[in-house]
Amino acid sequence: MKPALAVFAVAAVAQWLLPLAGVWRHEWLIARGTLVRIECAAPDPYDMLRGRYLAVRPAETSAAAPEGMSWGVVPVWATLATGGDGLARIESLSLEPVVGPTVVRLMAQRIRATDDTAAVQLEWPFDRFYLNERLGPAADTLMAALFRDGTRPVAEVRLLDGHAVLTDLLLDGVPVRESVRKWSR
Amino acid sequence: MKGRRAAFYIRLEVESAAGGPPQAAGAGMALDHETGIYSCAVSDPGYRQSAMSLLHHRWLAEQLPAWERDGIITAENAQTLRARYMAEPRGGLAQMIVGAVGALLIGTGLIAVLAYNWDDFPRGVRLALALGPLAASQVVSWRVLSRGESARPWMRESAALVQTLAAGAAMAIVSQIYNLPGVWTDLVFRWCVVTVPLAWVLRSQAVAIAYLLGIAIWTIAQVADRGLRFSTPAIAAVDVRLWYPLLLAGILPLWPGPGLRERPAVGSRLVLAATAFVGLLAVAAAAKPDVGDASFSWLAMLTAAAMLLFPLDRAGIAEPLMSKPQVVIGGLALVFTAFVATYEEPAHHLVESVGFALPLGWCWLLLAVTAGAAALAGWQGRLAVLTVAAVAVLPLAAAPLTPTSGWPVAIAYSLALLATAIVLIGLEFLGRQGAARLGGALITILVILRMADADVSLLVKGLVFILVGSGFLAFNAFITRHRRVTASGGTPA
Repeated sequence: MKPALAVFAVAAVAQWLLPLAGVWRHEWLIARGTLVRIECAAPDPYDMLRGRYLAVRPAETSAAAPEGMSWGVVPVWATLATGGDGLARIESLSLEPVVGPTVVRLMAQRIRATDDTAAVQLEWPFDRFYLNERLGPAADTLMAALFRDGTRPVAEVRLLDGHAVLTDLLLDGVPVRESVRKWSR
Repeated sequence: MKGRRAAFYIRLEVESAAGGPPQAAGAGMALDHETGIYSCAVSDPGYRQSAMSLLHHRWLAEQLPAWERDGIITAENAQTLRARYMAEPRGGLAQMIVGAVGALLIGTGLIAVLAYNWDDFPRGVRLALALGPLAASQVVSWRVLSRGESARPWMRESAALVQTLAAGAAMAIVSQIYNLPGVWTDLVFRWCVVTVPLAWVLRSQAVAIAYLLGIAIWTIAQVADRGLRFSTPAIAAVDVRLWYPLLLAGILPLWPGPGLRERPAVGSRLVLAATAFVGLLAVAAAAKPDVGDASFSWLAMLTAAAMLLFPLDRAGIAEPLMSKPQVVIGGLALVFTAFVATYEEPAHHLVESVGFALPLGWCWLLLAVTAGAAALAGWQGRLAVLTVAAVAVLPLAAAPLTPTSGWPVAIAYSLALLATAIVLIGLEFLGRQGAARLGGALITILVILRMADADVSLLVKGLVFILVGSGFLAFNAFITRHRRVTASGGTPA
């Protein structure tokens, strides 16, 4: 095979591998992961390449720092527990990997809390839920209206081996797409 | 301006149509009566597959029908020559542009249609919609690549560009389907990495340009996001001082290519120079991990100097200034900074920035590269660019004096600019490659700036401006006549 064809073949394979790796990892997670629901906020920005989405921000963005945590950004393993309202909340944070069906790996940055105790700011492994151009703006309006009434969107997330994938966003227990379609009518 | 030319000869073995001695072969051809071989002198530096040799190929292709008609060469000879010295037909550039524009429209249309987010379809269908065009475009590119040299440039451009856009669309759609986090510039980074080989193998200028823009955008985003985004270890690990030069080196297999012969077209050179300059400025801004440090000013000057002094071969030096955008961009950036530094406060900041920059490894790398390039430029006699580049050294020379006021440096910069202008003008009159017009412009701007500051009446300022403007126009007219007389190009090397 000519060198140019070989280089082309490698590039072509890489062009497949990159998206397929994402597909494989997330399909596996969706099929086998544990379902949890997390309360969050979700305004409506725009991504240059991927279009309109709702920025999903879990309500729990800070927590008490685990024992022995240094300054800087480190991965932490959060074990979630589902409460009586069906929503998952952080039960514990660990600097060491933890195994469990409701464990998720987060990024944490140590901050000084107002009462001078050690706290961490958390970054969740999902931050957006894509919608099409038709539903995006309507979802944003609906979300704002519900937010004023005290209703919070809920992220439906699958967890497996510390990884997470956002599968749906619920408004009053109903998938956001469905809610928006009903509301638009 | 005259480029150095080495003659090479295309040897044409011909027979006389009448069976007698061969006839005169026409302009540019010489007959060896003993061997019956025509030699056609064509100038080309080292006969390379460059833009110049392609021009010669085209010239030859245009002569062949006439030679064939006049019986100078046989149809078989003409065919052999056509095969050996293939020339793109006239309008090749237009075809390439049309091909690239067509591919761009198809590709962006594809992205827009797919990015609509057809969430009525199940995931499997959406994935097929994302990956199907990628597969189709890869098949087309493979076929174009398999045609080798017979593939037209527009085919290569279109195939490479459509595949590039299809690869980007596939990654964007997968990321959309699974609601993956991350900013769009991270996607641009991955997109650039997996598609740059298409620029190499399909020799696509459009993909190369897209790649250069992509890596510059990604680098700027990395630097701009410092301190703004939640700095995860992944982000913190991205050191643009390492990554940008590495990514920029990704263009080397295309320009200059494995044989060190390929040169970008003039338009591509402009993109290459502009994006490299912007990318390197972004790296200079990130040279110190602390956000908001003051080392940038002098690092930016060194970056501009390194770009201005970028090594060229003899043929490159002989090219007109507008074919060397790195010289234009680097020179303009240096001159602009020098003019700004003729004011007290900026001059003070510039000297201060030397103190912040010197402890940085990036600064020493820039200094080493600039010094090496300056030594080569000196050896090649590129005195004009050396003179302009020298303004970057002034803050370094002033730094040990630790001036409390910026005025000594500001005055030194005014004098340095004046000296630079005089050298640029003088070089041209000494028969060297200078830049008399640029020199004249420097003096004019300097006078205007100083007059604008001066505490004199508007009437005096107005009269001086009229005088300076008239002098500048007269000087330009004089230079034009001088160049006509000496037939010297006078462009800075």
